[in-house]
Amino acid sequence: MSEEIVIAAGTAQRPSLWQRLTASHGFMAVASPLMLLVLWEIAARAGLLDPRFFPAPSAVLRELIVLLGSGELLVNVGWTLQRVAIGFCLGAVPAIVLGLMMGLSPPLTALLRPSIAAIYPIPKIALFPLIMLIFGLGETSKWVIVAVAVFFQVFFSTLAGVLNIERIYLDVATNFGASRWQAYRTIALPAALPFIFTGCQLGLGMALIVVVVAEQFGTKTGLGFMIWRSWQVFEVQDMFVALIMVALLGYGSQLAMLALERRLIRWKPRDGARSQV
Amino acid sequence: MLSGPDADDKVGAHEIANKISIERLSKEFTSGKLAVTALQSLDLRVGEGEFICIVGPSGCGKTTLLRILAGLETPTGGEVRIVRRGKDRPLSSMIFQENSIFPWMRVRDNVAYGLDLRGIDRARRDRTVSHFLDLTGLARFADAWPHQLSGGMKQRVSVARAFANDPEILLMDEPFAALDEQTKIVLQQELLRLWSETKKTVLFITHSIDEALVLADRVLVMSGRPGRLLADIRVDFPRPRLVHELKADAEFGRLWHRIWELLDSGRRVGGIAAA
Repeated sequence: MSEEIVIAAGTAQRPSLWQRLTASHGFMAVASPLMLLVLWEIAARAGLLDPRFFPAPSAVLRELIVLLGSGELLVNVGWTLQRVAIGFCLGAVPAIVLGLMMGLSPPLTALLRPSIAAIYPIPKIALFPLIMLIFGLGETSKWVIVAVAVFFQVFFSTLAGVLNIERIYLDVATNFGASRWQAYRTIALPAALPFIFTGCQLGLGMALIVVVVAEQFGTKTGLGFMIWRSWQVFEVQDMFVALIMVALLGYGSQLAMLALERRLIRWKPRDGARSQV
Repeated sequence: MLSGPDADDKVGAHEIANKISIERLSKEFTSGKLAVTALQSLDLRVGEGEFICIVGPSGCGKTTLLRILAGLETPTGGEVRIVRRGKDRPLSSMIFQENSIFPWMRVRDNVAYGLDLRGIDRARRDRTVSHFLDLTGLARFADAWPHQLSGGMKQRVSVARAFANDPEILLMDEPFAALDEQTKIVLQQELLRLWSETKKTVLFITHSIDEALVLADRVLVMSGRPGRLLADIRVDFPRPRLVHELKADAEFGRLWHRIWELLDSGRRVGGIAAA
């Protein structure tokens, strides 16, 4: 017996609702944290979790609404955001410039790379007391510690980006008579840009870690301050609210960076299956 | 360094003004204790507006010669003299064998690269770019990104970029080697047309005897490493040439055979193991 198999438009079976949901990356991404929250809520209400350490999500949500309403939360988010933004710029710009210069200049690399590589493994937050000694307790020392943390991430990524440039592009630039500055602008910067963006993403993550610790000292603002104060006064719900905001800030800044990257780097072939953050 | 201007007229054209004079040119690469002689005492004259093809086995220093002329390497011995017509035009532009067009620039900006570096005004830049986009059949792809193009199209961009830069000398390093036969013949034909319109001096490296005979005024045959000149063969097919018809010419076969024998003997002399 022979059987005829027809492959034509519209012969595929319509997927069921369940199939469509599990195939949707968006749904799956939301489903797992949602499930966790539901389990957490149940456990908290059933008395399985100690509410002094793990308040029910619904209680945290209530607190979040209160803090949003009083404006206190947004003010603190604003301060943290500002410190990260200023520190990020102070760190990333020199990192990109130095990375590009060193990438195209082997003598400069030989001169500076050992020193930079030696400082790199020091946990950046361990430098904070020294930075506070030099720059005082105020805002400046917070910008500086963020800048230091961002600098290394962006610097090493930029350097790797320039060192990875195919030799032939630089040959074309030389043969076409590009000056040093033109070689930076037309070859090194655009070719290293994907690497620079990776460095900036890593740097942003680092900046948030560092700023939250730094806000423990010499300030009465910022999400870090909120976390440390709620520890002192044992207000765990506030702490969770601040932690959620830090997480959202981190996620949001990564998304913003990704959007900027897509805008600036239009020349890369994009495969549709590229995963999200 | 010169031993009289007419000392080695045996290689060179009498009737055309000299463009490039190469005297006892040598290049040695050293890495650690290892030294490799890429070129040894090469003498060569190229006339203004001549189309020269260089054939020779791998590692015979053809690419090194071109890179010295392009200003990408400095010789370790001998000298190169180039007669320059004016300071307002670039001396040479190179068309590389691999993918050398910038993936981060649209086709249009790739072609404009040399003009942009020199700060040519916008109107003239755009005019020149569209002219060469038209001539290379790229007009429809002016705003495409390189990753959207086929290999042949990319190499057209490379050719257009070099011609738009309007150099006095074009250096081509196996530009069509990676292309399929049909694309190759089409591009050879287009190159000949472009060249006949601009009359640039061309040095063209190739592995293909066919390609050399189809394009060149003179074919230079080089030996294996260290690279020396084995023969300088005049190719007198009338121009304009039609690539596909040329290959049916009896003279074409005769020259092909002669170059093949030279290459074969050069391989043995040069000590390169026959493939």
